[in-house]
Amino acid sequence: MDIIPAVAGNKTNINSAEFVKLTIYNDVANTADTSVYTFSSAYKAETIDGQVYTPLGGLLGVGIQQRDIRVTSADTSISLSGIDGNNIAIVLATKVRGSELEIIRGFYDSNFNLSNTAHRFTGIVTSYNLAEERHDLVDNFTVTINASSYKSVLENRIAGRKTNTKSWQQFDPTDSSMNNIYSLSDQHFDFGMPVTRTAATTSTAANDASSSATNTGTTEGGGP
Amino acid sequence: MSGLQTIINACNGIKINRRNVVGIQYTRNEIPRVSQTPTTNAWKITLDMPNSFKYNEARALMEELDTLDTTTPQLVTFGNNSNLQWIFAYQGAMTAGQIATCTVLTYVGNQLTLTGLPAVGATTVLFKKNDLIQISGHPYPFTTEEDVLRGAGANVIITTSRPNIISTSVVGAGIVTGTTCQFNFFCPNMPVYKLIVGGYQRTGSGTIQNNALLQFSDSFMLYEFVGDA
Repeated sequence: MDIIPAVAGNKTNINSAEFVKLTIYNDVANTADTSVYTFSSAYKAETIDGQVYTPLGGLLGVGIQQRDIRVTSADTSISLSGIDGNNIAIVLATKVRGSELEIIRGFYDSNFNLSNTAHRFTGIVTSYNLAEERHDLVDNFTVTINASSYKSVLENRIAGRKTNTKSWQQFDPTDSSMNNIYSLSDQHFDFGMPVTRTAATTSTAANDASSSATNTGTTEGGGP
Repeated sequence: MSGLQTIINACNGIKINRRNVVGIQYTRNEIPRVSQTPTTNAWKITLDMPNSFKYNEARALMEELDTLDTTTPQLVTFGNNSNLQWIFAYQGAMTAGQIATCTVLTYVGNQLTLTGLPAVGATTVLFKKNDLIQISGHPYPFTTEEDVLRGAGANVIITTSRPNIISTSVVGAGIVTGTTCQFNFFCPNMPVYKLIVGGYQRTGSGTIQNNALLQFSDSFMLYEFVGDA
């Protein structure tokens, strides 16, 4: 557990600000090609871990961040001013979905100097929302960016391998585990009935279900 | 003089609000828990207006307020009107010439260090509590939280009411104090005006000319415009 001196010792007065870093990956094939945007509720620009967090980004609010002892799935959101057209451009003109969102809380001493920071949230941007609020002659825009923790992203990820040679050898071209496994593709099974049709294709040692070789080894109720 | 400056000069009440953004909770055993956000701590002042403006004399003012609308900031001061110069008047003992020699050595957080101080007695009060200080060239007034004595050193440290919100370097800059300071205000609620009965004018020939008095729909709530300083 992190000990944050600024709030340790049962402090009754805390002086803190939120710092938000949005890292957008411009090219999926090149993770170094990123655009970084920062926002904060502080009164001036602050540098945290070499990153300058500007107070001029238009940060309106930061959603709640669930904190548990165990790793849990949690979502949060940040609200940005849409009056600044740059913030609308961030969500409409960039690949913001899938980008990384980090939220840091900074603690100030009595002289308004940043003394400590604590990492609050790291996640992946899953969606955004643009809202216009117009009442009489007042017309405002708000940009909301929603993010999920990495655990939520991993839970929704579908991963695995197919039981055929091609899939197996994608990870290891020399893997011959599936070389003798017939493909189920194009196979017709009449379960409980005598075999009336045979597959048009089969796996071979050199190929998988896309092979055009005829499977002649099929027996009643058969299949690999 | 124009727009908001005219309103300041003519108002019949000023409410000043420069409180911090805070959160306060009271525990079950009544211990207060306080959190504060270190914002720019912008000045907010509310000006109450009398219904004394005659329509025929306030045509220019109406146009200026409509042009400013709710969005445009304007520099105003409490020093250009002799009737207002008692507000924010400098209460320290330095002369204008001595103030002009003072320059900023550092300004970090809310700690302003001044150098170029006058050769006066160590107990001379350079700034009284609540004196306005402004860094030359930047329209953001700060106030002193404590009386500042000259002391014996080459520099003095002043604790200001809010931290240094100026994003560019102020090292070596001069200062201005008191009513010389300027505020950069805009009026988010810019009141509209209503013409009410009154203000009749008698022309040179003795005839009565129709006129009206201006009644503003609300107080003027001025908000300090803090952009990229």
